[in-house]
Amino acid sequence: MKRRRFFSGLLMLALLPLLVSAPAQTPKVVIQVDGPADPTPGRDAALKTCDEFVDRGRRAEGRNCFSRLLNEHGDTFVQAEAAWALRDMQRANELFRDVVERRPRDPYARVRWGYLYLETHSAAEAAKLFKEALTIDENYAPAKLGTATILANRFEGKALDLVNEALATDPNLSESYVLLAGMAIEEHDYETAEEHIAKGLAKAEELGDSPLEFYTLRASLDLLRGKEDSEWTRKALEHNPSYGRIYADPAHFYVITRRYREATALLRKAIEVDPELWTAHADLAVNLLRQGREEEGRRHLEIAYKGDPFSPQTTNWLRLLDSFPNYETISNKDDVVLGTAAEVEAAASKPEIVLKLHDKEAAILRPYVMQLADESVETFLKKYNFRPRLPVQIEFYPDHDDFAVRTMGMPGLGLLGVTFGYVVAMDSPSGRSPGSFHWGTTLWHELAHVFTLEATDHLVPRWYSEGLSMYEEWHARPGWGERISTDFLEAMKEDKLLPVADLDKGFVRPRYPSQVAVSYFQAGLVCQLIADEWGFPKLVELLNGFAKPISTADNFAAVLGFPSEEFDEKFEKYLENRFGELIEKLPEFRKAMKKALVAAKAKDWDAVLGPAAEAQDIYPDYVQSANAYVVLSTAYSELGDMEGAVEQLKQYQARGGKNPLHIKKLAAWLNELERRPEAIDALTGLIYITPGDPEVHVLLGEWLLEEGRSAEAVREFSTHLATKPLDLAGAHFNLARAYHKMEDSENTRKHLLSALEAAPNYRPAQKLLLKIID
Amino acid sequence: MKRGLLWFGLAGLVLAGQAAAKSHFVIVGGLGGEARYAKQWSESVDGLNETCRKTAGDDALVHVLKGKAATKEAIEAVFAGLRRETAPSDIVSVFLIGHGSYDGHEYRFNIPGRDLTAAEIKGLLDSLPAKDQLIAITTSSSGASVEELKADRRIVITATKSAGERTVTVFAEHWVEALRDAEADTNKDEVITALEAFTYADKKVQDFYALDKRMATEHARLEGELAASFTLTRLGSALDAASDPKLRPLLERRGGIERRIAELKNRKDAMETAAYTSELQKLLVELARTQAEIDTASGRDEQ
Repeated sequence: MKRRRFFSGLLMLALLPLLVSAPAQTPKVVIQVDGPADPTPGRDAALKTCDEFVDRGRRAEGRNCFSRLLNEHGDTFVQAEAAWALRDMQRANELFRDVVERRPRDPYARVRWGYLYLETHSAAEAAKLFKEALTIDENYAPAKLGTATILANRFEGKALDLVNEALATDPNLSESYVLLAGMAIEEHDYETAEEHIAKGLAKAEELGDSPLEFYTLRASLDLLRGKEDSEWTRKALEHNPSYGRIYADPAHFYVITRRYREATALLRKAIEVDPELWTAHADLAVNLLRQGREEEGRRHLEIAYKGDPFSPQTTNWLRLLDSFPNYETISNKDDVVLGTAAEVEAAASKPEIVLKLHDKEAAILRPYVMQLADESVETFLKKYNFRPRLPVQIEFYPDHDDFAVRTMGMPGLGLLGVTFGYVVAMDSPSGRSPGSFHWGTTLWHELAHVFTLEATDHLVPRWYSEGLSMYEEWHARPGWGERISTDFLEAMKEDKLLPVADLDKGFVRPRYPSQVAVSYFQAGLVCQLIADEWGFPKLVELLNGFAKPISTADNFAAVLGFPSEEFDEKFEKYLENRFGELIEKLPEFRKAMKKALVAAKAKDWDAVLGPAAEAQDIYPDYVQSANAYVVLSTAYSELGDMEGAVEQLKQYQARGGKNPLHIKKLAAWLNELERRPEAIDALTGLIYITPGDPEVHVLLGEWLLEEGRSAEAVREFSTHLATKPLDLAGAHFNLARAYHKMEDSENTRKHLLSALEAAPNYRPAQKLLLKIID
Repeated sequence: MKRGLLWFGLAGLVLAGQAAAKSHFVIVGGLGGEARYAKQWSESVDGLNETCRKTAGDDALVHVLKGKAATKEAIEAVFAGLRRETAPSDIVSVFLIGHGSYDGHEYRFNIPGRDLTAAEIKGLLDSLPAKDQLIAITTSSSGASVEELKADRRIVITATKSAGERTVTVFAEHWVEALRDAEADTNKDEVITALEAFTYADKKVQDFYALDKRMATEHARLEGELAASFTLTRLGSALDAASDPKLRPLLERRGGIERRIAELKNRKDAMETAAYTSELQKLLVELARTQAEIDTASGRDEQ
């Protein structure tokens, strides 16, 4: 009997270090082995007898049977399997160690021990054991299948090759079909999945193995095809009335397509059938938390923890929940709006936005995050003609690990932010190095997902949702949005881009390391082409088309009026026109840039100008490190051409340059050249990169005050005060000055007293105090 | 809290008391090793030299040794001079910039020729008649010197908490800034005390590591009860006013108001907010008016 469980997502924590160290990588849902699933034909007959009880839901008899084996059987291997079935993982581990020591040339024992590790959330240890088994026998199919399982859990494309190899070596390895069918469903290739299920089921019947996993996969297919009342569900429950996984496992396929509400409903049924299905409690909790339902989520996490204390995901989630009291919850409905009746009414009718910001930075982030969120929601509401039905909740995590815990379970996820529907979670800018992260772009991108997901009841394919978000971030503000990367250009050159009808595969199971990032750009450019050629309303029509189950190819044909293959041809031409010359000239770009950098290092500024300008001309969007704009700016400033130097840095910022040092320099130079409004704009742009930099807020406040924009100066000085500066007196005094200009005597007095309370001899504050009281 | 109160209680007295005393400075730039560090230490020494000369008001009170000149013998010669020149009421500040090490037994300040050990530094400081002293060692492993150097009226500042923090430090550059940046003068009295300078430099070091998402390899230490009242440098014209005898009654009146403000702040938690604010405003207005009188009397009312 095979009792492996598909795709619960509970091994995510084991992958956490990988995600943290390689943020460009995609977090993955993993396959959990639940119980001593044995992928090898020829399982010991004594074990098979006990398996039969469990397979039929006769748990008490199963427990007795395994207990007898554990206490009485003479084979340590059988005892290890029995201990595992009885959930005594530590004992099973010790027994397997014993077996492997005694049978150093036995790949089978190593594979089984590996699966035990896989179930107890230690994929790295499992991989080592599978590798050891393959060292003993390089063609050992169960070890290949084990490795493929780990790779599939990480959504790595190589899994497919490996499982096919395993199957070619051992056609009786029916577990292979489970893996193949699961991967096909994840890629929405339902016909292939069906073929694998049929073959696997036939093989299971032939070998007398449990059919439950195949029933589950068939039930999943029915659900995904819109058939809720599946005969396969009935069959499974007839086979085993307490088989909760007939509901829990299909939930995985809803989760990876972000259909959390449907997943939640299935998981509820799962625990109804089997209240001891701890993984379902944990999954249900995570889905509830994705929908912002913390109290109920916690309750199920606690149940899961009691039943399975080994799960790091459950533990980490509970820890994260414990930290939630450290977050402030702020609604855009909190502030009383003063104004005309129409203004008050307009404010009241706005969709509600709820921010969840950590105490230590809430006061700093609040005004900027709320303003941008308000603006983007208003923008998308008009563009997509969809009004959020629930409050939009935005969470900022200053600790990247907390964000990772919050977001696990999403395949192909860029680790900057994630949208679960009405809940958006993202890294706080304080969790990343200055200049490495544009939180404004990320928030704009994620909020576009809120609309695309909710307007289609989460049916929109991943690629289209990402494509629209990319398109929107490029159009949010000048300089916003990720620039087309050299990885994308290389992929285009090497003909690695996918047909639009298959673009989802680039997100789900990447075939090469940068494919997820490349697919983001491709999806965005597809949307860009549609908007350019056929108008933005076509993008909305496509989105609306995705509100019902429909393939990309069919939706394209219906909305654009021609087949997706024809679109692919047009897209290819569009890319060729836009990037063909750049790709051809990339070697020249690199050569020219190198020449400019060598000259800059030698401080031969005249010699910098020609090659840097040439490089810039070839690849104007290149604003990463060692870019032409910064080199040219330095050269011009050294040569005394400050206007030229400023122009270069302005271009740098306008094209998405994020280095705070360069942007601060730009602002300072603009100010020196008496171009104050532009200096203010440059620094304002920096707030979307480093909102916690006190220097930016003080300078901006000062300039705004001098320009007579006192209310904005108050915002900046207030933020500076929120950064808890050393010079508390100075910070309060700045606010007093700004309020004084606004003729707000109450706040002027309040902040003057605070300034002088901290520094009684602060002369400028003393003078203003005497002025306002005299 | 205690430090804050101590300052408010003593501020007037310290300024008055220190007015007659001389401030002596010893600045030593140790071995750089690599060229970039040699340049860095040299710039830090020059920056401190410039600030200290302004505060001392007399170049002869500032002793600078750097590069090849910063030998043990030369340092001992400077202290021999200080033994002759300093009065018990004077104050002495010593800054050691560069690399330091710990050999398992004692801290060593790395200089050309023989290094200077913590015990030897202690000996030099103990030998001076002036007991109000500050020593700031901005080197790696400098925390290892603290226990040796601690003394009753001596303030000891080190860039690292212990011998184990062996990586090159960034404390020195922020310490230089702390002595001349008005932002360090958090109470706006135009005097930067040892505590203010330390707090400033320490925060800047923490920000440096936090902003760059680097693991902090240095954690500064301060030992010495008098840090809040130890004047390191002066900004503006604070000293001029304090040393003018005709201003003394006004300064005494100002000191009295400052004490009343300190006492009021001490009672803040036990008072109604409105009553506290009202009383605070009254005292602050009184203080502002007194300051205005001081400024007028000293001819600085336009400042």
